[in-house]
Amino acid sequence: MVIQTIRIGHLLSSLALLTAVATFPSLTEAAKIIALKSADVDVYNEALEGFRNGSQGSAIIEYDMQGDLQKGKKFLARLRSGPKPDLILAVGIWALQVVAEEVQDIPVVFAMVLNPTTVIGQEARNITGASMNVPIEQQLALLKTISPHVGRIGVIYDPSKTGWLVRQAERLAKDHGVRLVTKAVTSPKDSFAALEAMQDEIDALWILPDLTVLAPESVQYMLLFSFRHKIPVLGLSENQVRMGALFGLSFESGWDIGSQAAELASGILAGKRIEEMPVTTARKLRLTVNLKSAGKLGVHIPKEILDRADVVIR
Amino acid sequence: MRRVRQFTIWQRIIVSSLAVGLLVGNAEAAGPLRDTIRNVFGPDGIILDPGRALPGSGSRAGDFQASSRQGLEQLNDQISSTFGIVSFNSSVTGFTFDLERGTPIRTTESLGPLLTERAPTLGARRLDVNFTYTRIAFTQFQGSDLENVPLIFAAEDINQNGIIDRRGTFRSESDQVLVRLKLDISEDLFAMIATYGVTSSWDIGVVVPVVHLRFRADGQAAIVDKNGNPGGTFVNGSPVHLFRNGSSSLTASGGGDTTGVGDVIIRTKYNLFTSHSALPDLSTVVEAKLPTGSRDNLLGTGGTNLTGLLVASRTYGRWFTPHLNLGYVRDTRDTRQSKIRYAGGFDARLLERLTVIADIMGFSKPNGNGVGNNIVDLSLGAKWNPIGSWFLGANFQIPLNKGSGLRADFIPTFAVEYLF
Repeated sequence: MVIQTIRIGHLLSSLALLTAVATFPSLTEAAKIIALKSADVDVYNEALEGFRNGSQGSAIIEYDMQGDLQKGKKFLARLRSGPKPDLILAVGIWALQVVAEEVQDIPVVFAMVLNPTTVIGQEARNITGASMNVPIEQQLALLKTISPHVGRIGVIYDPSKTGWLVRQAERLAKDHGVRLVTKAVTSPKDSFAALEAMQDEIDALWILPDLTVLAPESVQYMLLFSFRHKIPVLGLSENQVRMGALFGLSFESGWDIGSQAAELASGILAGKRIEEMPVTTARKLRLTVNLKSAGKLGVHIPKEILDRADVVIR
Repeated sequence: MRRVRQFTIWQRIIVSSLAVGLLVGNAEAAGPLRDTIRNVFGPDGIILDPGRALPGSGSRAGDFQASSRQGLEQLNDQISSTFGIVSFNSSVTGFTFDLERGTPIRTTESLGPLLTERAPTLGARRLDVNFTYTRIAFTQFQGSDLENVPLIFAAEDINQNGIIDRRGTFRSESDQVLVRLKLDISEDLFAMIATYGVTSSWDIGVVVPVVHLRFRADGQAAIVDKNGNPGGTFVNGSPVHLFRNGSSSLTASGGGDTTGVGDVIIRTKYNLFTSHSALPDLSTVVEAKLPTGSRDNLLGTGGTNLTGLLVASRTYGRWFTPHLNLGYVRDTRDTRQSKIRYAGGFDARLLERLTVIADIMGFSKPNGNGVGNNIVDLSLGAKWNPIGSWFLGANFQIPLNKGSGLRADFIPTFAVEYLF
C-alpha cells in the first residue's frame, strides 16, 4: 500500500505537491489521487480514512481547503501546472462545488455530500460519488413498520433544493402504500403556514434535508406541531430525535461513506465509465428512537425496531 | 515526510524566538534587579555616620540598620513575588459538522478571546502562530502609589531596656528615618505563542516570552525626632544621627533594565465534547510554566507552575459565545503563591470580520501571604481578520481592585496572528 498524505499550508502547498509527485518513484507507478477536503472535521477525516483503506495501491495527496472556496480554487489552479492526477476525491460539499466548477477533464469521486445533485447538475459527466443521503425506501419502510396505519406523509420542501428528492420519494411512496402530501416553500417563514395547512391531511411528517426548511425555528415548530396534533415526525439526525422527533435515520459513519467512495474510485481506475457508476446513498444507517415522544404520541415501537436502534432515548 | 516538515516549522519558530531572547538578553543594573529595593541604600541597609556617638555608648552608625534592612527586604520580597503573572490563551478556529445540513460550520463565527480560553480546539494538523506585545507600567502596590511609597524605620533599643526611651540619655531611640521610595517598574513583554492541533480535539502549544523589565528605585530618607522635627535628637547641640554624607537627609537610587527570555510555558488542551444537547462545550487545559527566566532579574519566578483549567463555552446564534474558565495554579516552589484562576466573559462577532471580547478575570490565593491575594481585572478587547488568515488583536486589562498586589492602571496587549 502506498499512501503519502501531505498536509500543507497554502503557502507551501504548490511546492509540496509538485515535490511529492515528482520525487517519489512509487507515486509515479501508483494511481495518483488528489483528495480535496472541504474543512477539517471529524467525519471528513473518517471518510478519508475509509477511502484510504479501500484504495490500497493508490497514492493519495490530501489538501484541506479550510472552508475557503478560494483556497480550493487556487489549489486546483496550481494543480494544473503539474502532472495530472488520475482522479480527484472531493470530500464534502464545498470541495465538490469547487471541483465541479473547475475540473472537467479528470474523473471526480465525491464523498460525504448531502443532496449532490444540487451541486453537480445534470451536465457533469466526470463526477460520481458517495452521498450521505439516506435511502428513501428505507425511511418509508421504517415509518410503515413503526406506524402501519400511516397513509399520508407530509413533506415541506423547497423545489430548488429537494425537488428531485421529493419526485423520487413520490414514486417510491406508492410502492409502500403511502401518499406524499407535499407543500412547496421558498423561504423558512413559509414553513409555518404550509405546516398548518396540512394539519388535517397527514398522518406523519417527514423532515427532509432541505436547507430552506431546516431553519431552527422551522424545525422547532414542526416538532411542536407533532405533539399538538399527535403526528409522528421522521427526523434526519439523532439531534432532531433528541429534540422530539419520533425517530431518525442518518448515515452510520464517515468511514463507511469513504469506503463507498473508494469502491467507486477503484472502478473508475480499473477502467469503468462514470456513467456506469451512479451516485450512491449511505448503505449503513444509524437509527435513533425516542421513546418519550412515542409515549406522548401514543405510538408503540415494535421490539425489533428497538433491538435494531443504535440509540434509544428513554 | 509530513512529520519532518512539521518539526522543522516548530523548531524554527522556537529556536528563533529563543535566539532573539538570548541575543537581546542583558542587564544594565549593578546587581540583580530582584534586590533593587533591598539595595537602594546599599546592600547592608541604612548605615549612619560612624563618627556620631552618645556618651558612653559608642558609634550610632548601626541604629537603623536592622529595621531598614528588614523593612526594605520585606517590601522587596513582596513586590518581587508578584511578577510573572501574565495571561495567554490558545487560539481557536476550526469546524464542526452540521449533520442535518451536511455542511461544516465554523465552531464559532467570532474570532475568540485574547487572554482567556474557549472550549473548541484549533483543528487537526493546523498551526497557529501568534506574536503579542504587552506593556505593563505598574502604578500601585497594595493600594499605594508607586511614586510615593512611605517607609518608617525605628532606631535600635540602645540600652536594651525593652522600650523606646523618649526622655533621658537614650531619648535618641525615638528618632526615626522616614523614607519615601519612588518606584519605576514596567515590563515590555513580547511573546510568541504557537499552537498546533494534533487531532481535531487536541492541541499542544508553547509560549516563549521575551521580557524587557525596567525596575528603578529612588529613595529619599530623612532623620526626624519623636515629634517629626528634621535632624533627629540633638545632644549638646549636636545631632546623634547623621547619614554618612554628613546630612540628616539622603537620596539614593538603584535598579536598572534587563531583557531576556521569561518563563516558557508549554500547554495542551483537550476538547472533551462539543455540541452536546444539554451541556456547553467543555475542554481541559494543562499548562506547565518552566523556570527558564532569570529569577534574580525578575524575568521568571524561579519555579515551575502547573495549571489545570476547565473551560466551558457555548456559541449562540453563531456569533455570541460566553465562556467560563476555572482552574488551579500550583506553584511548586512557593505553595503560598498557588492560586485559583478564573475568568468569565464572552466574545461576540459584531461585524463579519470583527469580534469584541469582554472578560472578568482574576485569581485568588487561598494560602497567600497577604500581598496580591485577590486580583480581579476587567479585560476588553477586539479581534479583526483583515485578510486571509491574518488576525490583529488589541486588548486592555483594567484592574477592578487596585488595593491588591502590584498593579498597572491598564495593560494594553497587541497581537498579530497567522493561521497556517
